[in-house]
Amino acid sequence: MVHLSWYLTVSAMLFCIGVFGFLTRRNIIMMLLSIELMLNSVNLNLAAMSHYMEDIRGQVLVFFIIAVAAAEAAIGLGIVVTLFRNYRSVYTEDITILKG
Amino acid sequence: MNNINMSFDLYHLWQVCGGQLILIVAGLLLILVDIILMEKDQEIRGRWMGWLTVFIFAATIGHLACREWDLHDTIFMNVFSADKYSIFISIVMTCAGLLAAMMSIGYLRNNGLVRGEYYILLVFAVAGAIGLIQSVDLLMMFITLEVMSLAIYALAAFLKDSSYSQEGAFKYFLLGSFGSALFLFGVAIIYGTTGTLNITQMAQYISGGSYSTLPILVAFAMIMAGFFFKMAMVPFHMWTPDVYEGAPSVITGFMATAVKAAAFGVFMKVLFVGFTPILASSGQPDFAATVNLSALGPYWKPVIWWLALLSMFIGNLIAVSQSNIKRMLAYSSIAHAGYMAVGIIAANGEGRMGVLFYLFAYTLMNIGAFGVVYLIDGMERKAQDLEDYRGLGYIYPSLSFLLSLFLVAMAGLPPTAGFIAKFYVFAAAIKEGYFLLAALGVLTSVIGAYYYLRVIYLMYMKEKVKDVERGPIAAPTVVALVIAALGVVYLGLLPENLASVANLAQQSLAMIF
Repeated sequence: MVHLSWYLTVSAMLFCIGVFGFLTRRNIIMMLLSIELMLNSVNLNLAAMSHYMEDIRGQVLVFFIIAVAAAEAAIGLGIVVTLFRNYRSVYTEDITILKG
Repeated sequence: MNNINMSFDLYHLWQVCGGQLILIVAGLLLILVDIILMEKDQEIRGRWMGWLTVFIFAATIGHLACREWDLHDTIFMNVFSADKYSIFISIVMTCAGLLAAMMSIGYLRNNGLVRGEYYILLVFAVAGAIGLIQSVDLLMMFITLEVMSLAIYALAAFLKDSSYSQEGAFKYFLLGSFGSALFLFGVAIIYGTTGTLNITQMAQYISGGSYSTLPILVAFAMIMAGFFFKMAMVPFHMWTPDVYEGAPSVITGFMATAVKAAAFGVFMKVLFVGFTPILASSGQPDFAATVNLSALGPYWKPVIWWLALLSMFIGNLIAVSQSNIKRMLAYSSIAHAGYMAVGIIAANGEGRMGVLFYLFAYTLMNIGAFGVVYLIDGMERKAQDLEDYRGLGYIYPSLSFLLSLFLVAMAGLPPTAGFIAKFYVFAAAIKEGYFLLAALGVLTSVIGAYYYLRVIYLMYMKEKVKDVERGPIAAPTVVALVIAALGVVYLGLLPENLASVANLAQQSLAMIF
């Protein structure tokens, strides 16, 4: 049986990869992917803990997070499409008319 | 979970979550109304949708204030609670929605954007915000936080052909989702350590004392960071000026007030119910004795002390150098988040009461200011520079007077609500011995007075250099502005009524289930 700490380690690594990707990537699609990665690391975390604590609520939470992440992706990609129509670019360095 | 008892009766649900139910059902019905009106003239469609939304918000405020105020109850195994604290903040947020909806009728017409989904999103945003403030459960907090945020991302991106609006909305979306992901990871750690998602059970676990500090602190920090994004506190404020500048003016006013009220309200709830319970004095059975009041105090107080100070300084200092009025008000909103955080640090009844009062006063003056800004603008981004405000006092005397009133209130000068609100939070901080923070806070509000009063100076003391033509004024906008202005003056002259109501509200925070 795989010990709980392994799951938690993998989940923490995934979360850190997500944060790192979010902060360093300059392509907005990759930034959205990084956010998905962060949310899914939380899912892994919750599912593992819920299994080891023999408590169903963690797994219920996972379903809700999946649903919310899907809604978030829908809104996010919608904004990306209109953003692309206005700027013709998906790189953050081109999207900088608001500053000061 | 041993006894899963999901039986409840609908009447109980209506009693506890009435405000949310009205808004959700009405929001769904509005979608149908919008389809029915699709064939009609655009003008008629916009007016109908707008007035229906105004009516829905007014009905919700009536229901919350008259039917739910005396309630103290929970539903769905302690997921939603109706108590004076959450009802008070719900009313503040619904007032923000009401004023925003009234102004939107004119705003959408001026910008040639008569679209029904605007009002539907506004209704769902307020429904999510009320759900957020009513929830006692971290899972439900996450879901309702997203319901509110997703609606507002879409509203911020509402000007489809404006690069500014799209860029602002996208930045808001990215950083908002980043903040929710941080919040969620904190929730996962809380679940793993304490085995519960309910903040009162979490409080019992923490006050029991038999926990390892590190995971709780990490979770605490991540949950706080998630809320700080929404509150626009300093290290997490980067999105604020861009989003406030890009979004439609009325939505900016709504975001700056309703979202801030929701985030501050739920942050105080998590802090004072979950992490550093204030239950000790409320005489809860077999719980008061074990509560360790200051268990986490040494950790969070210095953090918020510095963040409040930085928010006040950075917000006010950068606002001075802004040339766009919406951007200036965005930095001022960061500074106001700092002032409210001073009331949280005080961590006493007066401080919490001050924050609630501040939220209400800030809602009135900020939405009012953005209402005037959109009227003078005509079309979005036509006249938003401070230079455009030169000499306006003689061309549009009544609008200039209203804007001056709201700016004086934001600067915190008597006899307006802004002065009383600042007085309450600083007095609470001084009572707890935070002299330095209060002194620096007053100093920053002097800096703040400079850029608020500069706008008034430009309007009345300077000759105009450019012809500014305001948009046509819609009657509901005038009503909303007058309500906001009267509220600001009334709360400045007679603050006792609202203060005693806010005090009742903050007392009920100690008795959440």
